Amino acid sequence: MATAASTTNPYNGPLKGDNAFAQITDNVSRIMEAPKPPLAWYLGMAFALSLLGIFGASLGFVVWEGIGAWGHVHPVAWGFPIVNFVFWVGIGHAGTLISAILFLLRQNWRTAINRFAEAMTIFAVVCAAVFPGVHIGRPWLPYWMFPIPNQMGMWPQFRSPLEWDVFAVGTYATVSILFWYMGMIPDFATFRDRSTSTVRRAVYGIVAMGWRGSSRQWHRYERAYLLLAALATPLVLSVHSVVSFDFATSQLPGWHTTIFPPYFVAGAIFGGFAMVVVLAIPARQFFGLKKIITMKHLELMAKVILGTGMLVGYAYAMEMFVAWYSGAMFEQFAFLNRAFGNYAWAYWTMIFCNVMSPQVFWFKKMRTNIWVIFIVGLIVNVGMWFERFVIICTSLTRDFLPANWGNFIPSPVDYATLAGSFGLFFTLFLLFCRYMPMVAMAELKAFIPEGHAHDEDDHH
Amino acid sequence: MTDQDAQANAPLHGILAEYDSPTAVVLASKKVRDAGYTRWDTYTPYPIHGIEKAMGIRMTILPWFVIVFAIIGLLTATALQWGTNAMDYKWLISGKPFWSWPANVPIIFELTVLFSAFSTLAGMLALNNLPLLAHPLDLKERFRRVTDDKFFLLIEARDPKFDESNARKLLEATAPVVLDTVKEDRSSSALIPRGLIYAGIVLGVASLVPFAVFAQARTAKMDKGRLHLVWDMDFTPSYKTQSDNPLFEDQRAMRKPPVGTVAQGHLNADDHLHLGKNAEGNWATTLPAGMQADEATMALGKAQFGIYCTPCHGFAGEGNGMVHKKASALGQGWVPPTNLHEERVRNLAAGDMYNTITRGIRNMPAYGSQMDDQERWAVVLYVRALQKSRTVGVGQLTDAERSQLK
Amino acid sequence: MSESKKKDEKSAPKAAPAATLKDNGDSIVLSDKAGGALNIGVGLAVVGLGAAAALGGGFLSPEFQHSYLAAYVWALSIFVGAVWWVTLQHLFGARASVVMRRVGELLAQGVGIMAVLSLPVVVPIFLGNDALYPWADHEYLNSSHILHSKAGYFANGFVAGRMVVYFLGWFLLAKYWLGKSLEQDKTTGDVAFYKKLQGRSAPAMIFFALTVTFCAMDLLMTLDPIWFSTIFGVYYFATCVQTFHCVLALTLMWLQSTGHIKKSVTPEHYHDVGKMMFAFVCFWTYIAFSQFMLIWYANIPEETHWFHMRLVGGWKESTLFLAATHFVIPFFGMMSRSMKRNLGLLRFWAFYLLIVSWFDMYWLVAPNLYKEGGTPGLVDVLAFVGMAGAVIATVVFNLKKKALVAQGDPRLQRALTFQNI
Repeated sequence: MATAASTTNPYNGPLKGDNAFAQITDNVSRIMEAPKPPLAWYLGMAFALSLLGIFGASLGFVVWEGIGAWGHVHPVAWGFPIVNFVFWVGIGHAGTLISAILFLLRQNWRTAINRFAEAMTIFAVVCAAVFPGVHIGRPWLPYWMFPIPNQMGMWPQFRSPLEWDVFAVGTYATVSILFWYMGMIPDFATFRDRSTSTVRRAVYGIVAMGWRGSSRQWHRYERAYLLLAALATPLVLSVHSVVSFDFATSQLPGWHTTIFPPYFVAGAIFGGFAMVVVLAIPARQFFGLKKIITMKHLELMAKVILGTGMLVGYAYAMEMFVAWYSGAMFEQFAFLNRAFGNYAWAYWTMIFCNVMSPQVFWFKKMRTNIWVIFIVGLIVNVGMWFERFVIICTSLTRDFLPANWGNFIPSPVDYATLAGSFGLFFTLFLLFCRYMPMVAMAELKAFIPEGHAHDEDDHH
Repeated sequence: MTDQDAQANAPLHGILAEYDSPTAVVLASKKVRDAGYTRWDTYTPYPIHGIEKAMGIRMTILPWFVIVFAIIGLLTATALQWGTNAMDYKWLISGKPFWSWPANVPIIFELTVLFSAFSTLAGMLALNNLPLLAHPLDLKERFRRVTDDKFFLLIEARDPKFDESNARKLLEATAPVVLDTVKEDRSSSALIPRGLIYAGIVLGVASLVPFAVFAQARTAKMDKGRLHLVWDMDFTPSYKTQSDNPLFEDQRAMRKPPVGTVAQGHLNADDHLHLGKNAEGNWATTLPAGMQADEATMALGKAQFGIYCTPCHGFAGEGNGMVHKKASALGQGWVPPTNLHEERVRNLAAGDMYNTITRGIRNMPAYGSQMDDQERWAVVLYVRALQKSRTVGVGQLTDAERSQLK
Repeated sequence: MSESKKKDEKSAPKAAPAATLKDNGDSIVLSDKAGGALNIGVGLAVVGLGAAAALGGGFLSPEFQHSYLAAYVWALSIFVGAVWWVTLQHLFGARASVVMRRVGELLAQGVGIMAVLSLPVVVPIFLGNDALYPWADHEYLNSSHILHSKAGYFANGFVAGRMVVYFLGWFLLAKYWLGKSLEQDKTTGDVAFYKKLQGRSAPAMIFFALTVTFCAMDLLMTLDPIWFSTIFGVYYFATCVQTFHCVLALTLMWLQSTGHIKKSVTPEHYHDVGKMMFAFVCFWTYIAFSQFMLIWYANIPEETHWFHMRLVGGWKESTLFLAATHFVIPFFGMMSRSMKRNLGLLRFWAFYLLIVSWFDMYWLVAPNLYKEGGTPGLVDVLAFVGMAGAVIATVVFNLKKKALVAQGDPRLQRALTFQNI
């Protein structure tokens, strides 16, 4: 694959530049500057756009016909749309973890992947936000969720977890965009300075805000970056906690349990990192970024996947132990039903994908093998989707009163919407890869050995 | 004077030194800092660790700015939730108090973070004087590599200590790759390109249009009804109660309740109480369970008898009530009401009598809808008392009652 | 401080593997002056705990048992936190903390003494004494269906087995880390050595997560055998991290003030410790709030009675006090960067958080005995002071005779010259 691609792939040729900084600049900028992206990009875009079309068609159908077009039926009032919502929001969290938390922990290896992880966050949150918007019965009235003065004199119900979602996901989307944009200002400046066409220079120039790399400006920029990282860290913890509150504040067995907030956050990071590797591996291959996103980065990400997978496993164990310990009949039944009831196949899929598959990463050979990392990443994504399905849908099928039990059968529109959401995600992501700086060039340069200023009394 | 001439004669902006390693620019910075310059800066492709100390840059006030906005965000969220849910439209939800701080905290937290984040970015841009789309350094072709791999140091002519030859000597001692002068930007008389100004005006006006539409919609009155985009929801197809519905065999839209439906409180399972029949299906001979033959029941029976029965049957039950007197006086043929002391009536089972009161007999209308079950049984008890009063012997009286007879 | 650091850098050898430790002339073995501190600690422990027992009505009285437990779990959290921290440094391959890691390893040895100090609350269980744990009296477990269904969990053998697993496991783990670290002292720049430890730290962390959870549940959550919360282990863990970092900071400051490792540990390192203290104030708040809000919101009686006791009636003021002192005050007080680099302020907040963490434990334990409300009484304070003395004694005892810095770790150079953000 490599040899054939290197003749046609403009991104696999040798790097221009006589020093490390110039090579980084060239490695990343040529992706935007190449007249045509590689064939893989077109193929990916074709696939993504077709899924996006399916997404639009299925959403349009649902808006036209009503949400009965999905498989929702009493008692499973929350079906695929909410599962998809939690799934996508969770994926977004890895990006913020990489940007903000790894920054605060001084893990400098993050600079190779933080830009497109942040982009992944934004696009995942966009995909996520579509679902609450459409799953309300009258999707032309979503502005009712905001405190806008109106003729009815009514206000949103701020004590509801669903309203907290609005604010949490809205804040998260906004702060992620701010953080992502701020990070790109110096790189937009690089694009601006390398542009040959006036249009390109004008567009990148405007978004770069006239950044020229002044050290006095860098000082405030660095402080702002630290502040945003320090803000984003509790924010990302709060967002998925608020999403978990949607379920945990209820009384439904299997939903109401105090460990949900940190459990959901750990699960989100777990699923998110799996998506990051699923994106990073093809991206570094087709965009020629192997020198920047190295095996070491992938191995570290595999370790994070293993670690957060263990946290998720811990939460499963806690839930089961306390279900037994509490002696609460409904709680105990809920967990037995998950493992042995109608949807046991979903439960065991989840256990296999989330708890068992990451265990291969205990072995160095496995976590340094690109194909293993990629496949486990895919498996974990599937597993995390199933985790939300198990929690949300199966708990609803078997609640307190047997008279209220029912089964959930997804409709074809459900599947189409789920598949289509990937179309939106990948379309945005591929556009990002083509037109925006995929790697944080300025940050990366700061942490290579050449980037260090040697003082006369300095011994690094 | 053309733009080119203007540029050629432009005053000096500063002296620019170019380096190709971070170490060089840091060492140069120390010299410039120690020389006492204040209006100078370095330009780098990335933030160099340690250059702040080398340049003597003081810590920015940005964090304080952010804290102020964080507090504003916190107060805004608190006021928003309290004002809307606890004051303006008090809305009771699942018994939670109007101001439930555990439920109000998440949004307080989120808005605090949101305001902080906005103020961080806005504050950083403002303190950095960004956007700054024009700068004399843009005229230098070599300066383009500042965002790539080159490092620059600029001492501005505005600096109080500035002297061109001194500055040059100082910088030459730091071994730059290139030493150059920078002139002020006089290359174009227009500060902002025309196109941008026109675009800005158009966009500005266009952005007001939605607000104008809202204002018009909120204040104007409409002759026609509202726009209905979703007919199915605004005019839900449904059948009216009295209309016909071809889907059912009896063509009616209104459906009977299913067989066996019972209105609340009307299960009427006790046949003795409701029908006067005992377990075998024969007429009951006693009061139903739960009813006592006591003063209270008797009083009730007397009262109800007085209301409903005396018009025809008379106060003594002899069948000579007012209705009888008036009807027989008309002489148009009138069957007298039954004398309740007849042997036949005395021998009626209690349940049979109850049934007659409930459903009526011959000319007597049904009193089931005018008295409830217990009242009718009380009447049966009273009628029995009336009957007994004609048949009881002196020997069955008590001494007190006997003495009254004398 | 920065002046001496510059001197460090001048005299330290350039980029050589860590054959030489550091030429900053630091004393790295505890001098005999420390003996005084040990005696003070032991004295406080004996007097404090003895007086508490005497005034509380004997070792087996409910009053003493509850006071002792609150103080004990507070002390335990410090050393359990130490075990966690050392495991974490290995897991992350942390470099900046290497200069402090040996002190952490030595602190972790305290779990051994903590195991012994658990006996006053653990032994009565096997004697069937229900002064502290209602389920110690096995008849109590027959009083309701729910209790009967979990009776197996409270069987003497199972309880004893669990306690052995927790304490022996932590003790062995702490010994392992210290042993390996001392072994590393004799090596020079062996990267493979610490990489192997990194690999071993992952299963160690899993063991730790499970044991700290169940120990917290066994010692604290079962005080009310009907109540349950899946997040309880995480709640106690948050306290462990907090108290450990406070004690780490105070220990390092004490060592420096008595003439040891003066130049090795710099404000850059204290800054990191301060950051963790602040971060875990926030994390504790997050966990405590989640636990409370979810139970409050769903309003299920079998869960709410635990909080109801603490929000209505006599305990209301204590709960507000806890929220104010454990969250509001330290959140604003510890937010600034300069606070973490100022040793005087850091010392104040370390003591402050240690006291407030004890109050948190008191708040967990005491309402089970004093159902109508209460404030810390003399017995509680004596138990706390006594236990604090035990902590001091344990710390000083373990610091003796070992090098106070991990000399053989190749990452030590970077740690010595580390600069914070």
